[in-house]
Amino acid sequence: MTQTISRRNLLSWLGRLLEERLLIAPTHTTGPILFQPVSKIEDIVLDFDNTALSAKEWFFPATETLFWAETTDGRTELVPATVEREAVVFGIRPCDAKGLALVDKAFLAEPADTLYQQHRDKAVLVGLSCRKASPQCFCTSMGTAPNDPTHVDILLTEVEEDYIVQIVTEKGKALLPDNLLLESKVVPPPPPSPPVVSAEGIEEVMRQAFDSPYWSRLADRCVHCNLCAYVCPTCYCFDIRDYESKGKIERVRSWESCQSPGFTRQAGGYNPRASKGARLRQRFYHKLLYFPEDFGAIACAGCGRCVQVCPVNIDIREVIADIQTIGGRNVP
Amino acid sequence: MAVGYQPRIVGFLCNWCSYAGADLAGTSRISYPANIRVIRLPCSGRVDPMLIVKSFELGADGVLVSGCHPGECHYLEGNYHARRRFALLRSLLDYLGIEKERFQVEWVSASEGKRFSEVVSSFTGELARLGPRREA
Amino acid sequence: MELIAVEKPASYPDKERGERLNQQLRDKAKELLERGAVECVIGYERATDGSSARPFFVYQPEEVDRLIFDQTCTHNLVKYLLNKKDKTTAVVVKPCDSRALNLLLNEKQIQRDKVFIVGVVCPGIVETGWNQVSQTLQGRCQRCRQHTPLVYDFLVGEPPAEEAPPAEAYADVAEIEAKPLAERQTFWDEQSKRCIRCYACRQVCPGCYCSECFVEQLQPPWVGIKIAPPENNMWQTIRAFHLAGRCSGCNECERVCPMDIPLSLLNRKLEKEVWELFEFQAGLSAETVPPFATFKKEETLGIGE
Repeated sequence: MTQTISRRNLLSWLGRLLEERLLIAPTHTTGPILFQPVSKIEDIVLDFDNTALSAKEWFFPATETLFWAETTDGRTELVPATVEREAVVFGIRPCDAKGLALVDKAFLAEPADTLYQQHRDKAVLVGLSCRKASPQCFCTSMGTAPNDPTHVDILLTEVEEDYIVQIVTEKGKALLPDNLLLESKVVPPPPPSPPVVSAEGIEEVMRQAFDSPYWSRLADRCVHCNLCAYVCPTCYCFDIRDYESKGKIERVRSWESCQSPGFTRQAGGYNPRASKGARLRQRFYHKLLYFPEDFGAIACAGCGRCVQVCPVNIDIREVIADIQTIGGRNVP
Repeated sequence: MAVGYQPRIVGFLCNWCSYAGADLAGTSRISYPANIRVIRLPCSGRVDPMLIVKSFELGADGVLVSGCHPGECHYLEGNYHARRRFALLRSLLDYLGIEKERFQVEWVSASEGKRFSEVVSSFTGELARLGPRREA
Repeated sequence: MELIAVEKPASYPDKERGERLNQQLRDKAKELLERGAVECVIGYERATDGSSARPFFVYQPEEVDRLIFDQTCTHNLVKYLLNKKDKTTAVVVKPCDSRALNLLLNEKQIQRDKVFIVGVVCPGIVETGWNQVSQTLQGRCQRCRQHTPLVYDFLVGEPPAEEAPPAEAYADVAEIEAKPLAERQTFWDEQSKRCIRCYACRQVCPGCYCSECFVEQLQPPWVGIKIAPPENNMWQTIRAFHLAGRCSGCNECERVCPMDIPLSLLNRKLEKEVWELFEFQAGLSAETVPPFATFKKEETLGIGE
């Protein structure tokens, strides 16, 4: 027996939630579809492939103030930023949820990033299974699946006019009242099959391929635009700067990426990753070797946004396949 | 418009002509509104368009650039270049929603103390009429 | 204006002409590489979606068969020449790209004798993205006035017998100009709200090649790292201004923007103003004095009068 909720009940539940909490859901903008706070239920987009930016931006915002510091009468007071509002992130795909779980490994490891932790603690994730796979998807090759409930609090799967409901965590159970759910005999539809890339044994192969001329060749066309890192659900590099205004200091953190030419420029001017090849190589090594070595998983959720957005078609799946060949494994 | 609104003007004045002219206004005891905050530079040609845009971003309601009359630049050509740059910048800012009237370029010579005061008075009046650039 | 119909996958409108053009291109690339005239040929190849194109750097004559040219070849390859200053390189250019080339030659960023220019007669490029090749010509191509590159060492393709009249160049700019002030402000506020400062626009632009961009300067911090509308406004306004009289209209900036910000509305506004004020357009020649490097002692520009 499965539990379902009708679309009407789902929307009215969301309508009640939005009165108490910050409800973040996919919405239309004058540009692409993005996760945004909604003020009315009609703004929620239910029929979409995926948002242009991942849900990561609501946990690790593009720009965030870390604290303010003010000195009065010789005493300095530090006021850290806090996350006050309870939030619900609705419509998150399993790949984005997996992305958050991967960022957790870095940001929640001791000592935890307190702001990120607050964002995570205060938000409930209501996931939406994918009914179809897009050509850029490859989530099943990256340890998740179009109907993977592992990293969300509630997973919804659309089936005709209703949604199958899987309550995954206590947080999810506390959010969705039982009386909205119906018992049903409907069988969960089979998940779609996204394209597959063989990433098995990629760590070992990467170790061998470090000095290969492949990387500079690939980087020839890279324009180092930061797009891949910014749309990625698992990339988490940032820059921190202090700003001073009328005696008050504000410490701000913003997204940055290893692709920026100046990312590793040091005081004095030396830059260990001055070359295009070195920078591009770094991104793939972080995802496919260093992160697995440190945290036990490939830092990729298979969402395919980087593939869609790269202006020059640097395709991580092609890179993985090429490296497998270079490493002598010749897998298809 | 907010009651008690006082337009905030940032003025970039060139050292040799317009700043001297402003100085002359002062020594001649000619009054003009205190809404202008003056920044002295060597030449109007040195005024980087980024300075103008940044001034608006930081909250200026109006920006004035003042230099020597064309043909009289202390560095010979600075103000000719400035003239071209600011013609374009004014157009661009207007397109982006910062009215043409908020960005003025006036040539004021070192002997034109009275003219300087008139420029600032009329600019301040114009900005009072237009209101603050951004409602707070 | 009638749009040229495109068959999927996008190919040159006249299939035979397209195939001839591709063969000419490959033969020339092979010849240049075999006789060592160039170290690399920068052109296009098919992307991983099987329908769009991507830049391709050919170093070996055996690889030339991967070279293509068709209506999906949107990229401006000229920027890559800035990474190859010490080598002799061949580059495939469309007419808009050739204007960017003229700009870089004019600004002494590349040496003429280090570039072998393979010009392509361009039928217009379609709206294209990964797995999103369409049948519609890009806006910039509908407005294009030159189907033959302005500078080249070798021309590939046959200039069309008849040029269809281009679309009105500044209709959309005029539309924004005509909006009342409050609407203009709202419009541009909406755009700067979405900007995530990825700098993709800057990275693909041939005109943006400063070794330290103003946005990265710490002293003074013109823009800073906060990703918020006031800073985003400053970024977009100043970048557009720095391209005034220099932008070749290739429109790559707008194509790559992940947030669909209509950057060409900014760049072309300035192009229009530069033309009206100084009768100058970027990239028409490699020997020209840029409008901001010169002046006329007597000129009425609406400033200081």
